Amino acid sequence: MASSAATVSIAAEWQLLYNRYYRKPEIYSLQWGRMTIDLRRHRVACAPFGGPIAAIRDDSKIVQLYAESARRKLQIFTSSGVLLSSVVWDRPGGRLVGMAWTDDHVLVCVVQNGKVYRYDIHAKPLPEFEIGTECFEQGILECAFWGNGLVVITEGNLVFCVPDFRETEPKVVRFADPEIDDPPLCVAVIEPKYTMSGNVEVLLGAGDGVLVVEEDGVQRLGEGVGPLQKMAVSQNGKYLASFTHDGRLLVIPTDFSKIMFEYSCESALPPEQLAWCGMDSVLLYWDETLLMVGPSGDPVSYTYDDSIVLIPECDGVRILSSTSMEFLQRVPDSTVSIFQIASTLPAALLYDALEHFDRRSAKADENLRLIRSSLPEAVQTCIDAAGHEFEHSRQHTLLKAASYGQAFCSQIHRDRFHEMCKTLRVLNAVRNPGIGIPLTIHQYKLLTAPVLIARLINAHQHFLALRITEYLGLNKEVVIMHWACAKITSSSAVIDEDLLKILVDKLKLWKGVSYAAVAKHADNNGRRKLAAMLVDQEPRSSKQVPLLLSIEEDNTALVKAIDSGDTDLIYLVLFRIWHKKKNATRDFFEMIQGMPLARDLFIVYTRSYDHESLKNFFLLSGQLQDVAFLLLKESWKLGVNPLASKGSPLHGPRIRVIEKARDLFRETREHTFESKAADEHQKLLRVQHGLEVSTKQAIFVDSSISDTIRTCIVLGKHQDAMKVRTEFKVSEKRWYWLKVFALATINDWETLERFSKDKKPPTGYKPFVEACIDGGQKSEALKYIPKLTDLREKAEAYERIGMAKEAADAASESNDGELLGRLKLTFGQNAAAGSIFDTLRDRLSFPGVS
Amino acid sequence: MSQIPNLDNAPINLTSIRDQSQKELLNILRNVRGRKCVVIDQTLSGPLSLLIQTTLLKENGAELRHLSSEPIQTDCSKIVFLVRCHPSLMEFILSNIQYDISKGLKKDYFIYFVPRRTVACEKVLEKDGIHNMITIGEFPLYLVPLDDDVLSFELDFAYRDVHVDGDTSSLWHIAKALHKLELSFGVIRNFLAKGSASVKVVEILESMQAEDPVDSEDVGIPEINTIILLDRDVDMFTPMCFQLTYEGIIDEILRINSGSVELDASIMGTPQDGKKVKVPLNSSDRLYKEVRDLQFGVVMQVLRERATSMKQDYADISSTQTVSELKDFVKKLNSLPEISRHINLAQHLCAFTSKPSFNGRLDIEQTILEGEAYEICFEHVEEMIHKQEPIISVLRLLVLFSITNAGLPKKNFDYLRRELLHSYGFEHMPTLYNLEKAGLLKKQELKSNWPIITRALKLIADDSSSTNPNDIAHLYSGYAPLSIRLVQHAIRSGWRSIEEVLKLLPGPMKRGGDSTTSDMRNVHANLGRPSDGRRSVALVVFIGGVTSGELSALRFLSSQEGMGHDFIVATTKVVNGNTLLETLLDTTVRN
Repeated sequence: MASSAATVSIAAEWQLLYNRYYRKPEIYSLQWGRMTIDLRRHRVACAPFGGPIAAIRDDSKIVQLYAESARRKLQIFTSSGVLLSSVVWDRPGGRLVGMAWTDDHVLVCVVQNGKVYRYDIHAKPLPEFEIGTECFEQGILECAFWGNGLVVITEGNLVFCVPDFRETEPKVVRFADPEIDDPPLCVAVIEPKYTMSGNVEVLLGAGDGVLVVEEDGVQRLGEGVGPLQKMAVSQNGKYLASFTHDGRLLVIPTDFSKIMFEYSCESALPPEQLAWCGMDSVLLYWDETLLMVGPSGDPVSYTYDDSIVLIPECDGVRILSSTSMEFLQRVPDSTVSIFQIASTLPAALLYDALEHFDRRSAKADENLRLIRSSLPEAVQTCIDAAGHEFEHSRQHTLLKAASYGQAFCSQIHRDRFHEMCKTLRVLNAVRNPGIGIPLTIHQYKLLTAPVLIARLINAHQHFLALRITEYLGLNKEVVIMHWACAKITSSSAVIDEDLLKILVDKLKLWKGVSYAAVAKHADNNGRRKLAAMLVDQEPRSSKQVPLLLSIEEDNTALVKAIDSGDTDLIYLVLFRIWHKKKNATRDFFEMIQGMPLARDLFIVYTRSYDHESLKNFFLLSGQLQDVAFLLLKESWKLGVNPLASKGSPLHGPRIRVIEKARDLFRETREHTFESKAADEHQKLLRVQHGLEVSTKQAIFVDSSISDTIRTCIVLGKHQDAMKVRTEFKVSEKRWYWLKVFALATINDWETLERFSKDKKPPTGYKPFVEACIDGGQKSEALKYIPKLTDLREKAEAYERIGMAKEAADAASESNDGELLGRLKLTFGQNAAAGSIFDTLRDRLSFPGVS
Repeated sequence: MSQIPNLDNAPINLTSIRDQSQKELLNILRNVRGRKCVVIDQTLSGPLSLLIQTTLLKENGAELRHLSSEPIQTDCSKIVFLVRCHPSLMEFILSNIQYDISKGLKKDYFIYFVPRRTVACEKVLEKDGIHNMITIGEFPLYLVPLDDDVLSFELDFAYRDVHVDGDTSSLWHIAKALHKLELSFGVIRNFLAKGSASVKVVEILESMQAEDPVDSEDVGIPEINTIILLDRDVDMFTPMCFQLTYEGIIDEILRINSGSVELDASIMGTPQDGKKVKVPLNSSDRLYKEVRDLQFGVVMQVLRERATSMKQDYADISSTQTVSELKDFVKKLNSLPEISRHINLAQHLCAFTSKPSFNGRLDIEQTILEGEAYEICFEHVEEMIHKQEPIISVLRLLVLFSITNAGLPKKNFDYLRRELLHSYGFEHMPTLYNLEKAGLLKKQELKSNWPIITRALKLIADDSSSTNPNDIAHLYSGYAPLSIRLVQHAIRSGWRSIEEVLKLLPGPMKRGGDSTTSDMRNVHANLGRPSDGRRSVALVVFIGGVTSGELSALRFLSSQEGMGHDFIVATTKVVNGNTLLETLLDTTVRN
């Protein structure tokens, strides 16, 4: 098939390793800021996934100084060689043994005496820590890193592990002693996620095999394969590539069950670097030579004049040289199927068809017809291949081919195309040399968009991060928050008001953003005023209030809590302030005195749990009557307590408390009534006590004055009743009711009648009538009913004792139609009575009564 | 019949609210694996019985107990306390755990707070470091459907808390509950609030809306158009009046608790000595639904007619020929238990309503409301005190007397208070103080506005006919409940026509939404009336409680011709004058 010259040139850049193509495009030519980094003279740490590069002059080599300071500098660059930050390296502790990036982009530097220094991407030192005294004494020989962990081997051949740097105080685990005398020939680790135990396994090249060291044991494996001079574990943790003392490259499963592959190199000199390129080949680097060895066929060899660093990625290897960043990868299948010379696969034909179409050649149509049935597959392949390209124009052409083919397909998932365009926009944006994150599509998918965004904001690329979150529809809050915090940190010279405005302008971009969290950061940066101003912007009081408390803005916290109407929040503040002002309760009381809701809640709580504090509060605020009420409450508690009501001093304590209450009531003019009542109360208790003594019956205390009188009469103690009456100035009316009812209780109808004749009762005869009817004494009742003056009452009284005629007469006399109607209802069942009412009603002819 | 009301006829989907709460409760039980002893705060058992069948709880391995100071005897090693967030309950929990410790028992403790954990409660638990032994969770039950048109926040003490103690926790609770409703049913655009508590709830609700906005895309078109909030303090008149509807009378005499009434089995015609039966009262009972809102006298007639027609049908059965006639008869027979249940109930109530004292009470209430015969009323109250009638009845009348007169002249005020203390004991001093703080019983300082209010709002009917009602006044024998008049005017004019009167009632007024537009006609057309001809839904919130009588009056309103609204009532609690005033008695209430 005719393929165009352009296509040929693409495939011409590929190298064939047995039956697989590899390519090694240059992704960046490096800037390195002011001065090129000579990799020969520098130690370099490169983070995978297109992460940053840290470089420091190698102090283990004797190097010639050019026009540079004698003091070493730690410099941090992007993958595109843009200087991000630098700091003078003046850390004590001896030689720098190891340096690497963690997954969170923290640079970890291990020095000889076991000190670990950490830096963020902005070369800002983070808390340092020590691995331990043995490391300090013996010195560190070697170290190996993975993800967020570190393993060190001391000069005394002890193994220590730091499993997780993310902890604030990273812990150090001492591994089992490998018990070797000579230092290991080489070191490698298998990441915890690939081991059976879930903990890291350390591989030490020792003797003619490997020691697998773990926390609780050492295992000797692969005896006789070695001695091994160099090892590299594959990306999936399953295989080990190793270089033997006699110049063989071995690939062995990490369980050492067999040798999968062996290749004899020309030189027995171990390579400087050994790395896996994806899962398909292994790279060996000696000075100026890079050898790529595959499972079969002849290796591919590259030559470099310059020193290089191999950076293994999950789908290839990045090659850093002093001048460029290259990416060596196996050419993806989709790309091969399109660009392989003389490919007749559908995707290649589709790509070809587009070229014809652009040239207005009829061959375009011919090509399409050839692949009609496999067009969707061809489209998909073009889309896929576009994703694997770094070069914009090639992405563009491939997508165009896909789009062209898509036009002829009825059934195809068009969202794949859109998805790819979206992904490529993101990738192109971060690959831009200014940003310098050369992610492949595969790496991007593995890393995920949120992690990429986290890395961008970590590198202070907030704007891009924000645009990407917007573009992908992700949560912007994390970006905005991080920006705000970073802004505060870096704006120490900006005055609070201006900074607030800058911050709020951006924070309002996201509705749910937590001002409280930003305020907390401001407070941690020593900007309390700014913090307070930010808290003020926070709409959620539940977040505002605790923060205000933590920045000691107690008063504002209380005001805000009250504003929120959330009583729980108010209590939170109240308890906190109260606790703080334990020794200055007066201040506290004065503070809440001006805030009614806070004051009331305080009262509600203390009324149940802290009477003493409440009394103090009332005394201070001059609410003497409230203190008095509290005392009254206490006095009843004393009354309930059975111990208090026994013995001669009997109600002594109780009476004294009531007297105290009385005196407090007296202090204010508005509470004369209460003071009199309290006075009567204590008097009553004394009287009742006396009665209990004289009657030897404990039935008086805690009953009311009226009840006391009734009890006296019921007991026949008329004199005592009279005494109580006089003592408490009981009115005539009440006296009559009480006495009548008491006499009825004991069925003393004679005395009752005599009493009725004493004088004209001030209550009328109603009490007598009611008492008799209630007591079921119809004949007694009849003595008093005629004396009732109120006709309605009279009618009702007759009604109650079933005397219909008399009731009707009284009712008709009173001219009360409604009453008459009701009486008729009551007496309705009785025919004789019914006729009485009918006659009466006719006579009166009341309207509306049925 | 279940105590759990059927909610299918509710104007909005109340079932979903209940299902949600049910699910949350079951999740709590499932999260505590295995057998467990669930210890419930007594006051929660009412609301819970409206939510879930106890069998369902037992199916989830729960052994049910009530919380008290007495230690719980159980062999379960997992104890789940389900309690309201009230500090005094924490004392019980503490003493229970301390008991177990003293016995050397090792158990797992869980506390689920209803509706949320609070600092004050946890502070009590901090004692002796016991809170370290407890797993704390929340059961966010902010409201329970009582019926297909009534929601309850189950805040028994809301009126007292707010108007006596100044503790506004319940207002936050209400706002939270309303906000949760909005999250399911959409933002309620129009609001009208009267009274200090109402306005405060609106303010809290507004700040909640700002903090946690309702996503209108999630909830669709708002289902509730208007919310009317009434602080009980605005109308304390109505609850002080004796209720005369069927449901009202049942509540007054027998006390309805969380939608059911407990009474002696003998009343229901099943003579078992001393045994109590629980009779659910909600609209799932079709006969009850029909008669609950009618005047008691009318109910008696309806029941009599039903019984007579049953009897007639029974007599006719011998001549019945066709199967379909038989089927009809059997269908009617099915309603027999309902009829007999209500006849039994009504008969029992009659024993009270036929007493002369009952009529006397109604008469004096009427006289007080009419506000003309001060001396008669005064003497009546005085006599009640002298006769030592139940204090709660005395206070109820006294409060009505005091608030209609804007307080009592100092001489009478002091005299009656003294007579009260002499008759019922000095331990009622704090009660009087509470009543004074709430403004329910006080010294007269200004002239009363009550006559102006009654005239302006036509609260006292000129002639009332209880059998042919055309105004809500018939339900109270000639008194139109003030609260319901306010609802009526809210719907009619957004309160624009009665602004002057509103100023005479306690507390501020606030309104918002469409009802704030100045064009009156627009208001009238818009106040929640959707254009598609659907009846719009108005939520009426009573802060401090609502009476059954008022609920009946609202149902009456919505059944009126030309009324384009369905009402849903949300209340802190269904109350009556007695239950409301009982919360103010310091001798019987909490600590």
